[in-house]
Amino acid sequence: MSKSEPPLPLTPAVFHILLALFGKERHGYDIMQQVKADSGDAVKMGPGTLYGSLDRMIGAGLVAKGNTQDPRRIYYRLTALGRTTLRAETDRLSRVALVARRQLGSA
Amino acid sequence: MTRPERRQKESRSLRLYARLLELYPPAFLQRHRAEMLQNFADLEGAAASKAALWLLIGKDLTMSLISNFFASQLGRYVIGVLVAWILLFAIGYYRYGSTPGHPALHVFGGFLLGMLAVFIATRLYGTPQNSSYVIGLLVTSILIFTIGYLRYGSTPGHPALQVFGGFLLGMLSIYIKIVLISPQAT
Repeated sequence: MSKSEPPLPLTPAVFHILLALFGKERHGYDIMQQVKADSGDAVKMGPGTLYGSLDRMIGAGLVAKGNTQDPRRIYYRLTALGRTTLRAETDRLSRVALVARRQLGSA
Repeated sequence: MTRPERRQKESRSLRLYARLLELYPPAFLQRHRAEMLQNFADLEGAAASKAALWLLIGKDLTMSLISNFFASQLGRYVIGVLVAWILLFAIGYYRYGSTPGHPALHVFGGFLLGMLAVFIATRLYGTPQNSSYVIGLLVTSILIFTIGYLRYGSTPGHPALQVFGGFLLGMLSIYIKIVLISPQAT
């Protein structure tokens, strides 16, 4: 995966993590709670899934670790590529939703 | 339930979770162990019940361990060995499967158990500096084999012998990968 292009489409877990980190650095538990709230309880993420996803996202250049001293509370933040990717995926989902609405409307 | 009793139970859950975390690859744990334990403590504090907590954690452990395993070098090796073994099994089954005792099936079952035993031992006790746990597994399997042989050994096909042989091969295949080929890549 190139680090300069948004890696689309995203998995639901990656999309929700990016969304949770938009505009605010968060630690792991905070991310899990925000994902749960953003998804209306539909996506419940545990620590294993979260940190597995974060490792891959750091590797892809979407997320970076913040400056944290406490190893139990490491903060994560979006990179520029992460923000671009979140916007691109949101646009893609909007277009898909538009097509779906059109199709359902005509049915 | 009194408060000290509750606190004691919570710490027991945390200890159990800490033990289960050992199933993750060492490199992953080195990066995230402290965070995951803190998250578990936070989740435990906020959970409506123990059942709800362990339902979430159980699902999370299963999914993330499977995902981690298939993404690791060891996982790819295991899949490679498994595919090769399934091919051998298929040939063996079609050639000898109809004989009494289904030897190919017994050897295949033993092989899977052998791989699993060494994999779990490696995750729980780390990559061995010596072969103590392999010897432990070997002694256990010899005991199981002896019981199986005394009970079923005289039936056609000697299933206990076949399972035992498969078990040893399964252990050996994983042991070779972990200890001899790439000890750091598990």
